[in-house]
Amino acid sequence: MQSNDSDDAIDPLRAEVRGWLDEHWDASARKPAHDFGIGWRRLVVDAGWAAPRWPEQWGGRGLSDDDALVVEEEFNRVGAPGCGQDRSHVSANTLLTFGTDTLKHEALFRLIAEEITTCLLYSEPGAGSDLAAVRTRADWNGEHWVIKGHKIWTSGARTAEYGLLLARTDWDRPKHKGLSFFFVPMKQPGIDIKPIHQITGDSHFNEVFLDDVVVPASNLLGELNEGWKVLLVGLAYERLIMGEGIGERKQGSSKDDHNRADLISMARDAGLLKDSVFRRDLAQVLAYRQLNELNVARAKMELGRDKSSPLMSMSKLAMSRILHEEARIMTKMLGAASLLDGEPHEAAADVNYRAANAYMTSIGGGTDQIQRNIIGEQVLGLPREQEADRHIPFRDSRSVTG
Amino acid sequence: MSEYLSEEERRAIRESFARLLAKHCTESDVRRLIATPEGYDRDLWRRMADMGVLGLLVDPTYGGSGAGAVELESLMEEAGAALLPGPLLSSGVLGSSLFSACTDDGVRLRLLPGLASGDTIASVALTGDSGTWRPDGVSVDAAPKGDAWLLTGCASFVTWACAADVLLVAARAPDGLGVFLVEDAQSLAGVTALQTHDPTLHLSRVVFKGVDAVRLPGLDESALEQAMNLARIALAGEQAGAARRVLDGTVEYIRTRVQFGRPVGGFQAIKHMAADLLLEVESATSVARQAASAFDEGDADSNELISLAAFACADAFVQTASSAIQMHGGIGFTWDHWAHLYWRRARADAQLFGGADFYRDRYLAAKESRNAK
Ligand SMILES: Cc1cc2nc3c(=O)[nH]c(=O)nc-3n(C[C@H](O)[C@H](O)[C@H](O)COP(=O)(O)OP(=O)(O)OC[C@H]3O[C@@H](n4cnc5c(N)ncnc54)[C@H](O)[C@@H]3O)c2cc1C
Repeated sequence: MQSNDSDDAIDPLRAEVRGWLDEHWDASARKPAHDFGIGWRRLVVDAGWAAPRWPEQWGGRGLSDDDALVVEEEFNRVGAPGCGQDRSHVSANTLLTFGTDTLKHEALFRLIAEEITTCLLYSEPGAGSDLAAVRTRADWNGEHWVIKGHKIWTSGARTAEYGLLLARTDWDRPKHKGLSFFFVPMKQPGIDIKPIHQITGDSHFNEVFLDDVVVPASNLLGELNEGWKVLLVGLAYERLIMGEGIGERKQGSSKDDHNRADLISMARDAGLLKDSVFRRDLAQVLAYRQLNELNVARAKMELGRDKSSPLMSMSKLAMSRILHEEARIMTKMLGAASLLDGEPHEAAADVNYRAANAYMTSIGGGTDQIQRNIIGEQVLGLPREQEADRHIPFRDSRSVTG
Repeated sequence: MSEYLSEEERRAIRESFARLLAKHCTESDVRRLIATPEGYDRDLWRRMADMGVLGLLVDPTYGGSGAGAVELESLMEEAGAALLPGPLLSSGVLGSSLFSACTDDGVRLRLLPGLASGDTIASVALTGDSGTWRPDGVSVDAAPKGDAWLLTGCASFVTWACAADVLLVAARAPDGLGVFLVEDAQSLAGVTALQTHDPTLHLSRVVFKGVDAVRLPGLDESALEQAMNLARIALAGEQAGAARRVLDGTVEYIRTRVQFGRPVGGFQAIKHMAADLLLEVESATSVARQAASAFDEGDADSNELISLAAFACADAFVQTASSAIQMHGGIGFTWDHWAHLYWRRARADAQLFGGADFYRDRYLAAKESRNAK
């Protein structure tokens, strides 16, 4: 194990990252040391730190997982953002693995520099848990792909530069075998976006109507009709992120950097730290989070790129419980004050928001029930649930015939 | 249970109340009311009065139907199912039962007919900023001033004070807790509306800086406790009824929502959740009803049952409404779906009049003391 403070034994990579950060990052002010004329994240990309596991051709350094974690540790140590995109950036990693060179040149660097965002055009009104039942169609007209369909629950569609789209390209094959995966340029006519109001009061997700939307051949990811494979990789990254609990509280709120609830301080303020029944409840809730952190840390060690670890599906399920349980115990700590809401009642607004937003993790990205099926079937090897339409031509399935 | 109403009349009033709500308190009505400053429907309020709902607990001498906890609980199941917003608990339950217990017939004659006819709305201030709804949570002091009294201090989480014509305030007098009447509540200074998590519930904080009030004779701590017991029973009924409506709606959805070529209710993960919820809902219904009848009969175990109802019904409603969101998937995460309206009501009801753990303690204490006898 490397020690963070013994300078004599420091390994060359760690020394290099440290040196670079010393020069470019002001750790005490938590901002770039100078104005470099370009954004911080672009600077990190150019230096090869944004995605150090990636090959040099695509802006990485070809580092092993262990070495990449050294880079992440050093960035975390001084609170510098921008690193770790090779582990957590859903669309960039999917693109790196399956994209054409043309598309990579067009989008990859901008994605990991976070100059552009993407959205996930997967779910449809009739295809949520059963994602392979999507009916949005992509047809080749001799020049490009033409997309027609209706997507729903699309987070971030209004600002996205690209949409990662799952669409049907062959209706005669069984449901999983006639799907293809596209990077759809979102800023074009034919795309109509309608915000949906969420139970939290936000409107991050949307309905997206696609009507003769045009997509170039080079924006097909993976092989034609092999979109399901691409999707699974994308979903694995998404679930990994959700398992780490990103986006737990309302943007712009105070509290610590990780948006984590400080349950012990809250209990102290509520005068509950001496209540032995409450202490045990609190201990259990804290334990859920810590055990998951240990799982995630172990998963990171075990995880090679584009391979899914069983711990990944587990941590999203664990995070769902953590978020619901934390909201429960926070509600308990607030007591009657949780009846209130809104700006004048910051603590209540925070807790009530968390309680609602916990469903984002237990429903979004595949529900808890689906996660359990995946763990049971794919990790433990238990028999699949019966699926009547799995092996028949999609055209004849209930999704089409009604 | 009322000696004035026959079994048939009881069923009839519940059915007509259900019909009234089905017509005038639909989900879109509730959403419309949420957006208004008043928060409740005055026309519906009037119709409820005509039907005898508002005067349910009021003696026929004063224009009511003289019913008891059993009838109240039964109607509250319907109110909960429809997510009825408005001061029914404040005025029709707490207000009515406190005024009824007042030993001054002049007060009863002056106020109860208005409560029963819906012309007067009462709100009751029972707790301070601690929100414990226990006697030690009262933070208003009452000092004698000639024949009258002066109130100072603060009450919070006051339900529907904004709609009230008269405010009843639990306050600490030199000789113990009492209940004080502030008339013309609409012109009372120091009332601040609080933004609430449950948009169908209106709460206020009231600061008293030497407010003139009349002490209501006969209303001591035990009279307050009686009124609170009726409110607990009413709330339990609301929770049981609301939970059942949520479960019905959810079962309807999972029966029809198809994924993987079949209704999602066919998957055991979902089917078992629904079965567990049914157990919660049935238990809530049984205990809410039994608590009401034990109260009416003056049974020795009525306190125990009321405490059990308080936490069992609160937990059942929270669990049902929470699972309902999960069982609906993405659509359950939307503002326009009904699930979160019930979920907010469930979370609010679980705090009103004291949290579930408080009632667990009270329940066990009641059981212990009976056990010791
Ligand atoms: C906050 C949020 C953000 C989202 N963002 C996006 C996004 O950006 N892009 C995108 O494409 N989608 C997004 N989604 C959609 C999300 O992936 C779907 O909502 C989810 O997969 C469930 O699908 P559904 O809503 O159709 O529910 P359904 O599939 O209809 O599920 C209904 C219920 O049935 C259960 N169920 C279904 N099948 C089974 C089974 N086989 N066994 C047991 N139980 C089952 C589910 O668990 C659920 O409880 C988002 C959702 C949320 C809540």
